[in-house]
Amino acid sequence: MVAVYGDDHVDSGRPGFFTRWFYSTNHKDIGTLYLVFAIISGLIGGYLSLMMRLELAEPGVQIFESEHQYNVFISMHGLIMIFFMVMPALIGGFGNWFVPIMIGAPDMAFPRMNNLSFWLLPVALVCLLISFFVQGDASGNGFGGGWVMYPPLSTSGSPGPAFDFVIIGLLAAGFSSIFGAINFITTILNMRAPGMTMHKMPLFAWGVLVTAFLLLLALPVLAASLFMLFTDRIPGGTGFFDPAMGGDPVMFQHLFWFFGHPEVYIMILPAFGIISHVVSTFSRKPIFGYLGMAYAMVAIGVVGFIVWAHHMYTVGMNVNLKAYFMAATLVIAVPTGIKIFSWLATMWGGSIRFTIPMLWAQAFIFLFVIGGVTGVVLANAGVDSALHDTYYVVAHFHYVLSMGAVFGIFCGFYYWFGKMSGLQYNKWLATIHFWFSFVGVNLIFFPQHFLGMQGMPRRYIDYPDAFSLWNKVSSYGSYVTLIGTLFFFVMLIEAYISRRRVSDNYWGEGATTLEWTLSSPPPFHQFDTLPRIGRDDHH
Amino acid sequence: MAGAHAVEHDYHLVPPSPWPFLSGVACLVWGLGMVVFFTGLVDRNPASPDVMTEFFFARGLDTIQGRDASNGGWIILLLGSLFAAYVMYRWWRDVAKESVQGDHTPVVDIGLRYGMILFIMQEVMFFVGWFWMFFEIGLFHKVRTGWNTDILENAEGYGNWPPPDVTTIDPWHLPLMNTLVLLLSGTTVTWAHHALINGNRKGAKWGLGLTILLGIFFTLLQGIEYVHAFDYREDGAFWLSTNVYGSAFFLATGFHGLHVVIGTIFLLAIWLRLMNGGLKPEKHFGLEAAAWYWHFVDVVWLFLFAFVYVVFQ
Amino acid sequence: MHLPKIASSTAVTGLTGSMSAAARAAEPVDGGIGFQEAVTPVMEKLTWFHNWMLMPIITGIVLLVLALIIYIMVRFNEKANPQPSKTSHNTLIEVIWTVIPVIILLVMIVPSMRLLYFQDALPETEMTIKATGNTWNWEYSYIDHENIDSFVSSMLEERTDAEAEGKPYLLGTDFPLVVPSGTRVKVLVTSNNNLHSFAVPAFGIKIDAIPGRINETWFEVFEGREGTYYGQCSELCGVRHAYMPIEIRVVTRDAFADWVANDGAFTTTVATNTSGGQTAAQQ
Ligand code: HEA
Ligand code: HEA
Ligand code: CUA
Ligand SMILES: [Cu+2]
Repeated sequence: MVAVYGDDHVDSGRPGFFTRWFYSTNHKDIGTLYLVFAIISGLIGGYLSLMMRLELAEPGVQIFESEHQYNVFISMHGLIMIFFMVMPALIGGFGNWFVPIMIGAPDMAFPRMNNLSFWLLPVALVCLLISFFVQGDASGNGFGGGWVMYPPLSTSGSPGPAFDFVIIGLLAAGFSSIFGAINFITTILNMRAPGMTMHKMPLFAWGVLVTAFLLLLALPVLAASLFMLFTDRIPGGTGFFDPAMGGDPVMFQHLFWFFGHPEVYIMILPAFGIISHVVSTFSRKPIFGYLGMAYAMVAIGVVGFIVWAHHMYTVGMNVNLKAYFMAATLVIAVPTGIKIFSWLATMWGGSIRFTIPMLWAQAFIFLFVIGGVTGVVLANAGVDSALHDTYYVVAHFHYVLSMGAVFGIFCGFYYWFGKMSGLQYNKWLATIHFWFSFVGVNLIFFPQHFLGMQGMPRRYIDYPDAFSLWNKVSSYGSYVTLIGTLFFFVMLIEAYISRRRVSDNYWGEGATTLEWTLSSPPPFHQFDTLPRIGRDDHH
Repeated sequence: MAGAHAVEHDYHLVPPSPWPFLSGVACLVWGLGMVVFFTGLVDRNPASPDVMTEFFFARGLDTIQGRDASNGGWIILLLGSLFAAYVMYRWWRDVAKESVQGDHTPVVDIGLRYGMILFIMQEVMFFVGWFWMFFEIGLFHKVRTGWNTDILENAEGYGNWPPPDVTTIDPWHLPLMNTLVLLLSGTTVTWAHHALINGNRKGAKWGLGLTILLGIFFTLLQGIEYVHAFDYREDGAFWLSTNVYGSAFFLATGFHGLHVVIGTIFLLAIWLRLMNGGLKPEKHFGLEAAAWYWHFVDVVWLFLFAFVYVVFQ
Repeated sequence: MHLPKIASSTAVTGLTGSMSAAARAAEPVDGGIGFQEAVTPVMEKLTWFHNWMLMPIITGIVLLVLALIIYIMVRFNEKANPQPSKTSHNTLIEVIWTVIPVIILLVMIVPSMRLLYFQDALPETEMTIKATGNTWNWEYSYIDHENIDSFVSSMLEERTDAEAEGKPYLLGTDFPLVVPSGTRVKVLVTSNNNLHSFAVPAFGIKIDAIPGRINETWFEVFEGREGTYYGQCSELCGVRHAYMPIEIRVVTRDAFADWVANDGAFTTTVATNTSGGQTAAQQ
């Protein structure tokens, strides 16, 4: 996807191809790189999940050579989707493209470091891909310890180098995000245009700001625990998680989830921001309860740091601790509810146009609520002892990820596609993409609630006959989703072949943020003269 | 990058730069080196002794520990590190040049400050991870042993902290010395800063130079301490693989040590700029950043000294 | 102690369809959409709390949001409402949608805490069993019955073997854990290498097996609910994670006493296994 720049800016000092895409210091180009990268990773992650669903379509082992290979696929599916698809798309892609523009800045604060953040990601992905082809444990290649990498399975249980590559890859991805976070926070705090106060700042920028703080504070802890895994794995090395040396495997889980829980909000807060813009644009109304929306995200971010052990209700924690983590977790439903109801109130009284991004946004709101309320079920520690590590959890987190975060990504993509490329997508192809995806993902993941209730554990390559029906339905759903995703690519190709141009503000009245004041695509450097935001301009 | 329009803002639009991309390449080489060196690409098959196999597939650690293997992973690791060092050098040189050219306007300067503060916050969280580990194994093992002591086979090992067979390092010898060294270096770096502000370049050079020497001295002392612990590991002392106490001790102090080295290099770079006539009394953020970083390293040490050496001895 | 049955779980989960076979045991059912039938007080309370508290609440919330979205789509689309309002604040409504969720959560948290503490506060138990996770099977020992050697319980590898014994494939094992009904049993769980998790859905228990730690939980199967119950390892433990099921044979107290007197022999009286007369460990 090569962005085309407005004709009048063709010779504004734009570098040649190699310099432009490899040595870039331009936030829009880097954003494009991130988006291309996310799409490639989405394909890989989607391929892995399709293989998993093919395997699970019927009882018995049919697709995979070994059980180990299945475990490798789920682990890499989780890691690639999270670290290499959702995060690059939402933060690196849309964040880079639109945060500077929305706050009226010419670029990011540290353009070179921005490019470093990007280039660490392909490096990280290459490390993960290498891991597929080198030894994992005695029975095969690749790392099969789940995306959560619990020891001892990830230390003594996976002696081969595959997991070392995963560690290196995740460290690289982690540093990429840390540098990105520093960049975003500095940009947002220091480079807002005159008159753009924090309380006038668009909600997407707010979402990325909170996300960046979560990244900055959570990822270093992951880095520390990855180093501990690395040295634990060296023969004659350390024993942090090895009971024989006095270490403790559960300690890893605490360290991991201290990062892992904020991580799930890292994946959803930027999507919240996108949904706010889309809902407001197509209702032709300002966001309802702007301040509440902004501070709800701050609240989610803050509380998100003190709930981590709700992933560990079954490790044998003290009951009072469980009670605490349960109460803290439930609190998050309140700010999230504020967001949901404020979106509804934004639409209320509006004059709604059902454009493609608006379809994704509506679906997001509804499906995210389903995923959110099953999260509330899981937060009840007592009930979690029946549901933990079953497909109920899988259903929960795909509703918030594969429908929350991913729908947010597609929503943003269709919203801004014209702005980024200058081109108009074909509405029918986009509609087909939406409906197949909508029906498909629901078919995949709704029945998984039933499987979980009935007790089917996750990360199983094979299951008793009694789980056949819903697994079959779920697999059919993944084929439907696959067709939908194909239409996404058809849509992309068609748009680039037909080259229909769009105007500067192709959504018209309702699209009020600064990116709509620029050409589509924007000039190589925007805001040579900084915009001024008046007192009464709304967000 | 002046385009058709005149640029009317004070932000710094950086021209394209090869260093970020090359840093990524260096990182890939370095990562490959890490894995090949520490693990080797697969468990070694003794029946295949050809050179390539040995190079990629043996464990580098075996080479070091004198076991029969000749892994060359360290070469990749070294290449990656040198490459990274070179790229960083060029990158920082560019930054220094831009500073001289006046690209660092007041608003950019504030941005750099934000960036440095955030970077240090990130470092703080990294050490939170290590202290978390240290406190968790230090404090809670006793609690855990309370349950089912009759069944838990290695209750002894769990119940005592540090484990009974470990002779810990006496905090009032080398570690105290180290504390004093770091505290002193905190004052010398402040001296350098104030001297520079007051136009006393000579004082600044001396202050900074002394800080660097003290940093190197600290690293030396810690090296001596490690060798001491390592050499006697057979009889009573400990090493990182003795038990989790050793692991916690060496990794926590080790990562701190690494940060001391990074801080020293940072100071050294600034010192070189100072010697070459760089840094102005009214504009010297490089020095301030290095000083902030150095104070951060200092504070981490105080926590290590208090808890790792003194409280849990 | 027999708790009143608060709600029949089959009634709630309606579609679950036929109750499982003769032994009145609970098993997953194809097409089932609810919990397996509860046979312990913990699971009964859990099922009640889930089916009668959580489900109505979350269904209500989802339906409310769905209804609002549909109403908005119909009432406020471009055609129906060409002129958008400009309202962007209403303190009252914002307070309402903050306070009502808080109230809902407070209402929810009380029974939830009760369930949690009931589950977790270990009552006086009458016997203790230790389950050790191996790669990849479970080893059971009867702490209070020294005459019963500890034994390993492995999955029946072949579908035909399982079918021959009338057990569901991938759930049936060669030697089940045998426990009496109407008895509070304490389970100690640990592991020899990787993490595992000892989980039995019908009992409402799931507790991780962690090397170096001993976790404990408890269950008491109602009298009259004797039969065979199945669980599966619920923490990723490597290659054969899917193949280390848990089979629990719940028998009457008398039958259990007989079994113990027999040194834990797997005779036809307790076990469907045909290994006749030998203790598992002797094999
Ligand atoms: C984008 C990612 C995302 C998001 C947003 C969430 C949101 C939430 N999650 Fe989820 N979660 C994951 C991703 C996410 N989760 C993942 C990946 C895992 C599994 C990890 C693994 O093990 O591999 C997981 C697992 C997980 C568990 C552990 C389950 C287990 O392993 O046993 C729990 C338990 O508490 C939980 C709870 C919650 C809660 C309470 C929320 C809340 O934030 C939801 C809040 C939203 C709502 C409640 C809906 C809207 C609100 C209203 C309409 C107001 C009215 C509502 C009420 C009064 C209830 N999640
Ligand atoms: C964001 C995260 C994400 C996403 C999108 C998905 C998407 C899907 N997942 Fe995912 N899944 C996880 C995260 C995710 N998953 C995690 C963390 C786990 C746990 C792993 C573990 O146990 O350790 C898991 C586990 C998991 C399991 C359980 C395996 C097991 O326990 O045995 C299954 C089984 O069906 C499954 C299936 C699917 C399917 C069919 C999809 C389909 O929806 C896929 C269809 C494809 C897409 C929707 C992607 C399309 C996107 C693009 C092409 C990019 C577009 C980008 C731009 C426009 C910029 N997943
Ligand atoms: Cu044992 Cu999973
Ligand atoms: Cu969580």
